[in-house]
Amino acid sequence: MAAAACVELAPNPVYVALVIGVAALAVSVHARPGPYARAFPLLVGIGVLFALVRTLLTVATTHANTDILFTTPHFGLPRLLGGFTVGGAVSWPILLHSLAEGFAIVGVMAVFGAFNAVVSHSELVQSTPRAFYEIGLVVVVALAFVPSTLSAIQDVRDADRARTGGRVVRRGRLLRQLVPVLELGLERAVTLSESMDARGFARVGAGPRDRIAGWCGIVSLLALGGAFVALVGHADLAASVLGLGGAIGLGFAITLASSGTQRTRYRPRRMTAVDWACACATLFAPAALAIVSVVGDSSLVWSASPVAWPALHVAPVLALLPLLVPVGLRTWSTS
Amino acid sequence: MSALSFRGVGFAYPSTASGKTTHPALAEVSFDVEPGEVMLVVGASGSGKSTLLRTANGLVPHTSGGRFGGDVIAFGRSTRSHHPRELADVVGFVAQDPEAQTVVDHVERDLAFVLENLGYSQEAMRRRVEEMLDALGIAHLRDRDPSTLSGGERQRCAIAGALAAAPSALVLDEPTSQLDPQGADDVLGALTRLNADLGTTVLLAEHRLERAAPLADRAVLVEGGRVGPVASPAELLAGYAGAPSVTRLGRLLGWDPPPLTVRDARNYALRAPLDLPEPTASDAATPGDAVLHARGVGVTVGGHRALHDVDLDLRAGDVIALFGRNGSGKTTLLRALAGLQSPTTGSVTRVRDARAAYVPQNPNTMLFANTVRHELEETLKLLGQFGSGRDHGEVEHWLHTLHLDALADRHPRSLSGGERQRVAIAAVAVGGAPVLLLDEPTRGMDAPSRTALEHAVREHAANGGSVVLATHDVELAARCATHAVVLGDGEVVADGDARTVLAGSLFAPQVLRVLPPFLTVEEVATELQRR
Repeated sequence: MAAAACVELAPNPVYVALVIGVAALAVSVHARPGPYARAFPLLVGIGVLFALVRTLLTVATTHANTDILFTTPHFGLPRLLGGFTVGGAVSWPILLHSLAEGFAIVGVMAVFGAFNAVVSHSELVQSTPRAFYEIGLVVVVALAFVPSTLSAIQDVRDADRARTGGRVVRRGRLLRQLVPVLELGLERAVTLSESMDARGFARVGAGPRDRIAGWCGIVSLLALGGAFVALVGHADLAASVLGLGGAIGLGFAITLASSGTQRTRYRPRRMTAVDWACACATLFAPAALAIVSVVGDSSLVWSASPVAWPALHVAPVLALLPLLVPVGLRTWSTS
Repeated sequence: MSALSFRGVGFAYPSTASGKTTHPALAEVSFDVEPGEVMLVVGASGSGKSTLLRTANGLVPHTSGGRFGGDVIAFGRSTRSHHPRELADVVGFVAQDPEAQTVVDHVERDLAFVLENLGYSQEAMRRRVEEMLDALGIAHLRDRDPSTLSGGERQRCAIAGALAAAPSALVLDEPTSQLDPQGADDVLGALTRLNADLGTTVLLAEHRLERAAPLADRAVLVEGGRVGPVASPAELLAGYAGAPSVTRLGRLLGWDPPPLTVRDARNYALRAPLDLPEPTASDAATPGDAVLHARGVGVTVGGHRALHDVDLDLRAGDVIALFGRNGSGKTTLLRALAGLQSPTTGSVTRVRDARAAYVPQNPNTMLFANTVRHELEETLKLLGQFGSGRDHGEVEHWLHTLHLDALADRHPRSLSGGERQRVAIAAVAVGGAPVLLLDEPTRGMDAPSRTALEHAVREHAANGGSVVLATHDVELAARCATHAVVLGDGEVVADGDARTVLAGSLFAPQVLRVLPPFLTVEEVATELQRR
C-alpha cells in the first residue's frame, strides 16, 4: 500500500521506475515458491498491455496543434457516441503524457504483483478479524484460480499441438483451447467446493449474533455512504455524525461477528516486531513524499509540454528509500 | 451398528440440458461396512464406483443434484438429512485428484482446515496436526505449498487433511492411481497403520489391486451401478478380470484359494515347484529403422534440472517403457521428444520428419468436442485427412480397438476418468503419427481397457510405429514393452531390453518374483500349453 501510494504521490516516470525496481527486488528476495511467484511478471505484463491500449486510445482521440509527430486518417463519430474525432494529428506531448500515465499504472500493477508474489494469502486471512474469515477464504480460493488457470492454458495449448504431432493448426484453435480451459476450471471449482464441504466448511449456520452483526454492518455502511454524500453536499455536521456513527457501528458489527463465530483459528498470525518495523518504515515513504509535495518539489509530477526529460531530485529519492526496508530485513535475517 | 450402511441406494445424475435424469449410475445398492474394517470396491471404469463412494458422506446427492433413492447411514446419521459438512467429523473423503482438494496454500494450515471448521481449541488443533504430520510421514513438508509437491506427497497431504478430525471412516477414490510404486506403498502403508492403530474404517476404490487387495478385509464388485454380494477379497477376485497377476497365476495353476500377495504365491510355488522351460523369445517384430534420436538431452525448468544428458533411440517396432519415481523427469522427456519442450542442451532429431504425437497425463486438457466420435474426427480434420475416404475406417478402427464403440455418441466429459483416457489416446492415435508418446496411459483404467490399450500399442508397433509409455505400471510394461528405460533425478539410470531391466528391479512384475524368469501369466500359460 505504501509503495502504491508513492506511485500516486510521485507519478514522475523516474520515481515510478524506482518503485518498480524496489518491487522487483522484493520479489527476487521474498518470492514464495509455487505458482504465485509468477504473479509479478504476469501483473506487470497486464499493466503494460493496459497502458499501451490506453495510450493508443488517448492519442487517437486527443489532439494538439503543436509538436506534431505524424498524422493518421481521421473520422468523426456520430453525436450519439460523443461526436469527437478519431485519428488525425498525433503530437509528442499527448503521446508522452499518456505513456507516463500508463507507466504509473504499470507501477501500481507491479506493486500489486509483488504483493501477490510475496505475501501468503492464507496467512493474511489468519491475520484478519474472525468475522472476515469466510469472505477472506473465498477471496483466497478465488485468487488461487489465477495461477491454476494459467497453468491450464499452457497445458491445453501443449495438448493441442501434441494432438497433431507438432503441426500447428490455427483454424478453430480458440474453441479447441477455450472449452477445455473453461471445463477444467469448472471441474476444479466443483472439486474444491466439495472438498470444502466434506471438510466442514460453513458447517455452523448463521446464529442470532451473526444476523444482528450483519444488519448492523449494513446500516453502518449505509451511514458511511450517507456521510460521503453529506460531505460532497458540504453538510459538515451531518457528515460528521453519520461518519462517526457508521465507523462505530462497523466496529461493533465486526466485534460482534468475530465473538459470535464458533469457528476457531489455527495459529492466528499476529504482528511481530519485525512486521511492525516493516510497516512503520514503509509508511514513512508516502508520508515523506507528501511532505516533499507540500514543500513544493516540482519534480514529483512530470509534464510533457513542453517536451523535456523528467527531473530527478534528491529529496523524493531519499523519501522512497524506506521502501527498501523489507528487502534489507530479509537480507539481514538470512545472512 | 454398522459404520456405513447402504440401504437400497439408487441414483441418477441430472442431464445437463433438460434437467431430466440420465441412466441410473447406481441401482439397488445394499451392503454394510462394519466399524474398523477395510472394504475394497472394485469394478470397471464407469461402473459407478466413484458415485458409490460419494454417497458415503452425502456429496451425492447434496452437491451433485440428480435423483436419489434409498438411504445411506453413516454412524447413525442419514445422508438424506445431513449435508457432507455435517458429517465431516465422522466421514473423511479423499477424491481422485489430490491437487484440486487443497483449500489452503500451506500444508500445515490445510491440515488444520477441518479442525477450524469443527471448532477445535487451538491446543487440540496443534496436537492433532502434529500427530497427522507424523502419521502420514509429511512433517518435513509442513511449510510447503501443496502445489509444489509431487503427486505422492500431495496425496498423503490430502489424506492427512481428511483424517485430521479423526473421522471414524475414511473414503478414498483410487488414492494410488497417480503414484509411483514407492508412493503407493507409502500411502497404503499409512492407511494400514491408521486402520490398525486407530480402528479407522476404510472404504477404498482401486484399479491397481496388487497392493490394495491384500489390505482389505472384504470387497464388493460394482457392475453397471449394481453391487454384488460382499465377499472376501480372495473370493471376489478369484473370478475378476482385473485381479492381481499372482491371483490370475494361481487361477491358471489351480492354486486354491488363489493368492493375493507375492508371498502367498511364492509359498504355493515352493510347495509345488513347476518344471517349466525358459520362456521362448517374444515373436514381436525385430526393431526396424530409427525414427527418432535424442542425444545428450538436458532440460532446465525454472532453474531446476529436470533432465540431464539423456540419450534415446526410437526404432520402428519399439515399445519403450519409461519408469521413474514421481518427478524423475518422465513427462519432461516425453515433452522434449514431442517438441513441446526445447532442450537446454543436446538435440532431438526426427528421421524423415516423423511426427511424434503426445497424449498428456490429464486427458481433460484435450477433450472439447460434443461426442467421442467427433473428438476423433477433429484430429483428422486438423491434419487435413478428413473426407479422404479412409477417415471413417480409421475412426471406427480406433473406436473399436480401444473399446469405445458403445461410447461413440456420448459427450467425452460425461465419461469416467479411465474412459476419458482412452478417448484421448484414440483421438491422438487416429492421426497416424508414427511415434506415440503416452504419459501415464493406464491411469484410472480398468483391466479390459488396459488389455485393449496393450493390443493397440502392440499393433501400432507391429505396423512400423513406435511407442513410448511413461508409466508406473510394471505389469503393463511386462506385457507389451520391448525396451525399458529408468530415469532417476533426470538421468537415465537403466536402459535395456524390458526383461533385463524389469528383472533387476525391486518393483519387478509379480509373476517374475514368483516364477522367474517368467514376466507374465500369459508367458506361463504359453509354456504350459507347449508342455
